[in-house]
This record gives sequence, C-alpha cells and structure tokens, in this order.
Amino acid sequence: MNELSPLPQAAFDREAAAYLLRRLQFGVRPDEIDRALAEGLPATTDRLLSVQPETDAFVRAEAALRQTAHAASSIAGLKAWWLYRMLHSANPLREKLTLMWHNHFATSHAKVNNVSQMAVQNDLFREHAWGDFHHLLHGVARDPAMLVWLDGNANRRRHPNENFAREVMELFALGLGNYTERDIQEAARAFTGWQLRDGAFWFNASQHDAAPKTIFGRTGRFEGNHVIDLCLEHPACPRFLAFKLLRQFVSDQPSTPLIDLVAASLARHKLHIRPVLFELVTSAAFFADEHRQALIKSPVDLVVGTLRTSATRVVLPAAAELLARLGQDLFEPPTVKGWDGGRQWIQTSTWILRWNFVTELVDGTGLGALREELWTDGRPQPDTWLLTYLGRAAPEVRAAVAAHWHAADELPAGRARRTLRFLWSLPEYQLA
Amino acid sequence: MFRIRSARREFLQVVGAAGLVSLGGSVPRFWSQALAQQDGTSAGERVLVLIQLAGGNDGLNTVVPITDDAYYRARPALAIGKQAVLKLNDRWGLHPSLEGLHQLWEQGRLGIVQGVGYPRPDRSHFRSMDIWHTANPDVVQPQTGWIGRTLDAAQGTEGREAVAVGLDRLPLALVGHRVVCPLVKSLEAFRLNEPAGGSPLRTADWQRAVQAPAPPRGELEFLRRSAQASLASADRLKSLGETYRTRVEYPSTGLAQRLKLVAQMIVAELPARVYFVSLDGFDTHAQQLPGHAALLAELAGAVASFVADLEEHRLTGRVLIATFSEFGRRLAENGSLGTDHGAAAPLFVVTPHRGGLFGEAPSLTDLDDGDPKFTTDFRRVYATLLENWLNVDSSAALGGRFEPLDCV
Repeated sequence: MNELSPLPQAAFDREAAAYLLRRLQFGVRPDEIDRALAEGLPATTDRLLSVQPETDAFVRAEAALRQTAHAASSIAGLKAWWLYRMLHSANPLREKLTLMWHNHFATSHAKVNNVSQMAVQNDLFREHAWGDFHHLLHGVARDPAMLVWLDGNANRRRHPNENFAREVMELFALGLGNYTERDIQEAARAFTGWQLRDGAFWFNASQHDAAPKTIFGRTGRFEGNHVIDLCLEHPACPRFLAFKLLRQFVSDQPSTPLIDLVAASLARHKLHIRPVLFELVTSAAFFADEHRQALIKSPVDLVVGTLRTSATRVVLPAAAELLARLGQDLFEPPTVKGWDGGRQWIQTSTWILRWNFVTELVDGTGLGALREELWTDGRPQPDTWLLTYLGRAAPEVRAAVAAHWHAADELPAGRARRTLRFLWSLPEYQLA
Repeated sequence: MFRIRSARREFLQVVGAAGLVSLGGSVPRFWSQALAQQDGTSAGERVLVLIQLAGGNDGLNTVVPITDDAYYRARPALAIGKQAVLKLNDRWGLHPSLEGLHQLWEQGRLGIVQGVGYPRPDRSHFRSMDIWHTANPDVVQPQTGWIGRTLDAAQGTEGREAVAVGLDRLPLALVGHRVVCPLVKSLEAFRLNEPAGGSPLRTADWQRAVQAPAPPRGELEFLRRSAQASLASADRLKSLGETYRTRVEYPSTGLAQRLKLVAQMIVAELPARVYFVSLDGFDTHAQQLPGHAALLAELAGAVASFVADLEEHRLTGRVLIATFSEFGRRLAENGSLGTDHGAAAPLFVVTPHRGGLFGEAPSLTDLDDGDPKFTTDFRRVYATLLENWLNVDSSAALGGRFEPLDCV
C-alpha cells in the first residue's frame, strides 16, 4: 500500500466528526458536529479547506484591531488581532495553518522589532496556508521580517553570513543530516546581497557573490532563487514537511510508515498542501485508534479552543498574556526552531497555569465569562460535553464527570460550573 | 543545622496536611523520598548543579592561553592581554570578569577541564546542544537526556530527582521515558488557585480518574503522571519561601536569582539530586568584547554568591557545580569583532576541595576546520559527575563505559 486509504463513510460517526473538527479548528461546538455529520467527511473537509466569506462585523473588528496595533506599534495589539481572528474567523483551519507556518518559519518580534513587518509575514503565511509550498518558501526568503531575523543585511560578498542558508536547510526545508557544512557555506554565498532597504526586499548587486557554487553536488552560478529551488527539489523536503504536518494534525510521535505515506503524497502533489491535507484527514489512518489520543493541546489549542466554544466577553490581551505564560507567546517564539510542542508543553508550572485558567474562566475573573447556552441549550448533559470536550474517555472518567453533573444539590448553573471545572481539569482535556 | 531540620519538619507538615501521602505508585521519587527521610535517615545527599552557558561560550577568551602566539595572531582585536587576565599559572589566565571564580581557584576549589568536546563536531546550536543534552551524538531525533535516563534507571531504588530552574521548558537533559522532572520558574508560578467551593483536583473522583488505566507510554499516561507529579510539586514548593533566610546579598542578575532559588531548595532539603540552570546569550558573532565580559561577570558573581550562601548554611561539602556549553568558538575572530561557532572548549567544575587544570589543552596550530580539536570526550566529564560525585552507575545513561577524570 503506498497511498492513504479513505475512511469508510459509515465510520464517520459523531465521535469521529468531533475528533476531526477538534483537530482542524480550535475546539468544537455541538452544532458544528451536527453540520459535519449532515454533510459527510469529504464535503466537510472540502469546506474547511475553502475560503469562506467573513461577516461584516468580523471584517470591521479585525481591521480596527489591526489598525490599533499599527498605530501604536504595539506587538501586544497584534497578538490581540491574531487571537481575534482565531476566535471569530469563518476560516479556523486557515488560522491554524497560519500558526503552523509561524512555528515552522519561527520569527520573533524580539529581534525584528517591527509590528508591521510581523503582520506582513503573518499575511504571507495565511495567503499560502494550504497553498503551494514553493511559493511559501520563495516568499519567506524575501520576507522583510525574515531578512531582519536571519541577518540578511550582514550577508555580504566578502563576509558571508550563514544564518539564513543554514536555517533554510536545517529548519525550513530539509532537516539535519541532508546537507553538509560546505552546502551551507556555498548557499550563503548565493544569498549574499539579499538585503532590506526602506523596509523592503532589495537585491544589492554590489554585495552579491556571483561566482560558481557547488551545492548538493551540483555546480553552477547559483543565485538565491536557485538554492531555494534546489532545496524544494531535494528528496528530503517532502519527508520533512510530512513530519511537520503529522505533528500538527495527527500525532506527537508519528510512525515512520505514516510519514512515508504523507511524504509520497506531498511528492505526488508537488508540495501543494491542500490536496495532501485533504487526503490525510479523510484517511482511515487519521481516524485510527492509536491517533485519537496522540496529540497534546498546544496553549493556543487549549485557550482559544476553550474560549471559542465556551466563553463570551473574552479579554484578548489577557488571553495573549496567558499564552505567553503557558509557553506559546505569539509572534515571539523562543528560537528560530520554534516551539518544540508535544510533551514539552507540559511542565509543573504550565499544569498549574492550565488548571488556574479553568478556575478563572469558570469564576469569570479575568479572561471572560462562560456562555450560558452551554447549559440552557437543551442538549443532553453531560453527554454533549463528553463528546465535544473529551472525545474518547475511559468509563471511570465518564462516570466521574456524570457524578459531578448528577449530584443534584444545586441550580443548573452551579451544576454546570462544577461539572465543567472538573471536566476541564482532567488530563484527557489536554489532548487535542 | 537547626534551621535545616526545622525547615524540613515544617515542610513535611505541609505535605502531611495536604493529604498526599496516599498517592499511588506513579508519584515520582522526588516526592516519596522526603517521606522516607522523615525518620531522619540518609539526610545530606550530594547535589549536582549544572549551569548551561547557551549559545556557545568562547572558551579561548574564558580560559586564556597567555603564552600562545597562535591565539594572539588569530585574534588581533579580541585577544585578552597577558596583563589583563586573572592568572592561574605561567601559561593560563581567567578572563578578567571571572573574579569570583578566581577566588575559588585560589581556595583550591575550581577545576578546569580543558578541550572538552566530541568527535565530528556539529556547529548547529540546536544539534550540538542536543548532543550535549543526550550524551548520544548518533541519535538525530533524541527523546531522552543523560540525567533523565539516569533517573529512569535509578527509579525504585533511591530518590534521585532533577529540577530545572528558571527555564521556559524542560531541558532535554532532564527528559526521561518515565521520570517527570519539575520545572521551576519562580515560587510565584506555583500558586494553584483553589476555587471557593473546593478544587476539583482534591476530589476522590479526580484521583480515581487520573489513576484509571491508560495505554503505556502514550500521551494520556504521560499527562496523568505529570498531573499528579505537578500537583505534588506545587504543594511542596508552596512552603519553601517561608523557611529560608540568608545574609548573602545576591546580585540582581537573572542567573544569581535562579541560583538563589536553587539554594532555597537545597536548604529546604528537597530530595532533588540535580539542579539545572541556564545563562543565555553566548552566541557572540559580533561586537563580542563587552557582551562576553558581562556574561562572564554574571556567571562569576552568581556562582560566588551561591557558594557563599551554601557556606552560610554549611552545605558546601555536599554541592558540586559544573558548567557546559554546546561548543566553543572558532580560533580566528570574524570580520564583525566577534567569533563564529566552534568546537572544543574548557568547562568549570566547582568542588568542595579539589581544583586545578585537568585534561590536555588543544593545540591552536593543529585545527579541525578552524577550531581546536577536542582532547577530552564530554561523556568522560559526565561519567565523573555521575560516578565520582553522585555515586551512580553511568553506563546506562551514557550508553557505554567512559573513564571518569580525577577532577572530582
């Protein structure tokens, strides 16, 4: 078998629909599960991978937030803007992929120190979210924030700076072990003169080394564009991207056979992300038992997912600040390697913060308030919450949640708060 | 002594009050060892404090070869002059910012291991740091680190735990398959908000739920184990701030404050055997002189205060400090008054009663791609720390036998 086989239609049940949407959006609401079941798996996935029109209210609020961030040169404002998009956009998967590329091409405002350049780079990730990786990588190489981040201006003919050349191979396209130190030195020469002037990409011919270079065993008068193309043609590239996609959507520890299948799909589709992602998330492998509890929620997944599905009057700056404390400071990843994710999200201090987040939200002291529809919408509880929030859970765990709901000594609001407090404090809730 | 005993007693009272004694078998030893010590036995275990110098510390400007012409030729702008160094002997001197370490040298407590590195040096920060953390240069996507594997192997026999202080994430060195090491940023970060109606974490339902069976080695099992360990760590760390006093005035630097927190935890007799702290910023590609001097001053000032604090608490005999960095820097300075990624470099070991220069300094005329060649495999240093200091077998963690050095 060298292709991913699709999930049989009959296997797409409520639990599968909830799982699909938890992985492709930020959390899932019961009405979204109803709609996905009515449409079926292929149509749902196709819809999530197509640009949906935004509401007028969204467009106005989004523009105002962005304008505020620009006017004040405030990165905190830009964080609030992006969180608003994640919480309210009609295209949640596009935001999730934007975040994936932000992590892949991890660039930090701490060095770039320019809000508008960080916003422009974010737009680039969004534009190519599920597009052609060729366009994305070429775009990133000329992106102003990236040129600042990886020292484009310091890469001069007589003094090549290897920073960008190294990371384009190690972290952006190939991964360790697929190139030599010599390849990096030669590639750095090809990128000499790729600089920034007046905030825009500028090819400074006087600093460019036009002499022949030898990269991956091929010799020629390679320019920066050629180096990008050589990386994109390199057989390691699809596999490297396959690993990233699987870490984002399927498992913190993807198996080698699955990496191979996705890499083959990427090669077949010439590094176009959309058809590959479609094949992956409609496949039987995606829904396999071993993947249902194989991914730990990132801070964004936890916080945005919980707030989007369950909260109102969200305080965006407080949410952004919480994400920073949980280890995922938007626009400020710790290094060019991005966030390691997976088990690294979970520490003693972040466990406590994840628990304290639940307390704050349920008590309505800081981040926002619970939406009352959660317990007044007439849906059967706690079954609906077990489906939307936990997915698969052991019988003991389901029974413990039910016991919290059925202890009938309080008004509905009190019962709901007690039950959600308990449910959101479970280890199961930290699974994506 | 009285203070130490009383600190532990107070701390155990908090523990007992929290009712956590009943937790199941998956609770890390970090916790249960404290209970074992309640009867007063086996107090006073040795402690290892690892200081990571992240970014690649310039070893040549740290331990300066003051009689080597090759050094002065390769660094016309950056070399530290013979008159400027803090002299160790006729051939070597410390960077002038390392006053606090030089005092330890004069007390015979500073060990310097020369030329530490590994075969086929990798000049990627991430890859080389991974190699130092895993002690396994051949694994490309490493999952566990040398301390984590040591703890995994020791589990069930004795409490040997590790705590990372002040980092954003758990260093790979401390990651094991089984053990979950706590990450302490500040004591403030461990305040669990308990809602008025009682925390769900204190209910029998929650305890049952986190002890339900889960597939071994999966993410859910990991989350359940770490949830229990985190709750236990939070409860015990909460009581630390109240029991510790010192007359030492630590500098206001980040590293000094982190080491102060480590001192607090050692004084309170947490059964951790290893503490891990980091000082970042050693990637000195440009305008190196002022930045590097400030970093070394931060290192020496923090270590000196920490050692003084340990002395005040009569703990010096039990604590060993070791530094490491992912690589040294290239011998030749670059065109931006800085140095690029290199390979072998010296590291420091502060011990209770042994000092000196150990190992062989690499030649500066026989280079590997512009960098000094390593003379001592870094795994021999690790073997020294594990075998000679912590008294544990090193072969499981290091994947083979590495001969300890005589610096400890």
